[in-house]
Amino acid sequence: MTTRGAGLVARQEIRTRLRTGRWKTLLAVWFVIVNGLGLLFRFALEAGGTSDFGSEGVPMFGGVLLGVLVLTLLVTPALSGQSINGDRERGTLAALQVTRLTPGDIALGKFAAAWGTGLLTLLLTLPCVLWPVLEGAVGAGRAAVVLAVMALLIGVVCAVSLAWSALVARSVTSVLLSYVTVFALLVGTPLLFLIGLPLTAEHRRSGTYEDTVDHSERVWWLLAPNPVVVLADAAPRLPKRRIVVDDQVYERAPESDPLGDISREVRDARRGPYNISSSGEPDGASVWPYGLLFDLALGAGALRLTAARLRTPLYRVPRGVRVA
Amino acid sequence: MAGDDGWAADGRAGDGRAGDGRAGDAQVGVPGAVDGRAGDASAGDDWAAGGEFGVEAYGVTRSFGPVQALGGLDITVPYGQVTALVGPNGAGKTTLLLILATLLKPDSGTVRIAGHDALMYPARARDALGWMPDTFGVYDQLTVDEYLAFFADAYELPKDEAPRRIRALLSLVHLEDKLGQPVHALSRGQKQRLGLARALVHRPRVLLLDEPASGLDPRSRIELRDLLRSLAADGVAVLVSSHILSELEEIADRVVLVDRGRTAGDHAMADLAGAAARARWRVRSLDPDGLAAALAAALDGRTGLEPAADLPGTVEVGPLTEAEAAGLLAELVARKVPVCGLAPAGSALESAYLAMTESRR
Repeated sequence: MTTRGAGLVARQEIRTRLRTGRWKTLLAVWFVIVNGLGLLFRFALEAGGTSDFGSEGVPMFGGVLLGVLVLTLLVTPALSGQSINGDRERGTLAALQVTRLTPGDIALGKFAAAWGTGLLTLLLTLPCVLWPVLEGAVGAGRAAVVLAVMALLIGVVCAVSLAWSALVARSVTSVLLSYVTVFALLVGTPLLFLIGLPLTAEHRRSGTYEDTVDHSERVWWLLAPNPVVVLADAAPRLPKRRIVVDDQVYERAPESDPLGDISREVRDARRGPYNISSSGEPDGASVWPYGLLFDLALGAGALRLTAARLRTPLYRVPRGVRVA
Repeated sequence: MAGDDGWAADGRAGDGRAGDGRAGDAQVGVPGAVDGRAGDASAGDDWAAGGEFGVEAYGVTRSFGPVQALGGLDITVPYGQVTALVGPNGAGKTTLLLILATLLKPDSGTVRIAGHDALMYPARARDALGWMPDTFGVYDQLTVDEYLAFFADAYELPKDEAPRRIRALLSLVHLEDKLGQPVHALSRGQKQRLGLARALVHRPRVLLLDEPASGLDPRSRIELRDLLRSLAADGVAVLVSSHILSELEEIADRVVLVDRGRTAGDHAMADLAGAAARARWRVRSLDPDGLAAALAAALDGRTGLEPAADLPGTVEVGPLTEAEAAGLLAELVARKVPVCGLAPAGSALESAYLAMTESRR
């Protein structure tokens, strides 16, 4: 496997992609929709006046980012979900496999092309993401971390979609399975968490009185792979605000910070009901490293699987798969 | 054809070979003499042992679930010759070509491509082999030269050599006027030729073609025939599968007949088409009844010579050698039958093919 070979495949993919369909139109539509929604969200925040301190930047940043995350993850499976079986159906894959390009070259090249396109869609969302940063409501560090995590998550979804396209004979099925994967990560993980809660709950009897205590610390890890959780929890906390009430100085987290709220929720879940520290430290341990590691491992495994599926000579020919 | 470029770039002339290298006299391909590629194609493993065959496959078996596609097939393809792979649908031709092209693993058997064990060292085999499948796609969004440039890169051709090589290939397959045009604007036959150029990008010493003539118009077929003959004359080992027997007869030096996954025959075309070959003959007469009577009398006593009436006034007899046919004609004329036509019905290859597939009915 060489970077030369992977680069050749990636350039080829991007070139054919740029020349098929109306990519410029699609990207323009994407740009207008995402930034339009962000702008409308901003107006709504200002009209509602929900923010205490007159800064709509914080809720805008969180809301827009969560929206952008979900939207990009919904677009991403289309980028590589039929990359390999589509080539098989068109009869162009086998000609590649008999050249000096290795299975790793082909897998990595196709992945790089898909990821690159995914990053381009992320790039187009920057105006409304960076607005709060320019405004000073959100630090540049927070924005950078959040964007980096988002870029990694897009890569994970690209890799998983690519693996589906290598595993499944029909491109319709593989795109569908890619969407199912994204859905499982976004919606399936909280569902499992909610199902897991009563299953792991503790039943206590004191006399005739029965009590049920949820032990979220036993199932918090089900939430960890969720892209929303990873993103929100990885985002550095906003500085606490000082509030002076009756000569007493209180510190409190800014309100209307969706990312911070989600982060606090999952850290509370990890800590469980009995481990509230007496020191007044409100936060539990962070959740995102586990989630991000899991997701990255998923992506790396998917890439390995893809390369393995491209290896020739092929012995077991899956049903419906054309060797050439 | 660009006489001063292309194949000539490594000391071969791409023109003037067509048609003159018929069976028998084109078998001078000396592997090492093709060009200087012998050294760089192999890491010195067993090249020298590669000998005279570009393809050597013995006892190749392959099953797909309960269906046995190949049941112990043997085939050799010598350098400098065009070998035809002939067999009915489902005989295992495509499966064999996929195995030879290092895309499919056989259940058992040995496969050597240009002296390299294709199962142990597929990458080495790939360097030496060009392959064109029966149906394939091209990248519709690219131009003709971008398409070939991509494969030149994929085969790691030196950057400075690629443009020259691409122009030479395009003129070789008569697509030089399509330079810079998008691939999707090509006709089916032109795409087929582009696919052939793709298979030749890295100057393979072994060329595997699955039904290359399908979709080609008569002119392109003749050009394909000339191209394959000139490649063989340059020392390339060419294996062609096809159904169009009359055409193979003009292209091929050897025929390997395949039936139900096994080698059913391996003939030099010279043996099939020569004076000793037997074919069926068509006799046409102005007096059908007289012809039938005379034939019955003339063939009496000789076994295996059954007159078979089909067209009105025409009778098919055989198989006969050319000498026997001449004798039969003399006899008919002596019996005062007004013979107005005597010609071989179908070709020797067709006869061999029909004889092989007879048992299937």
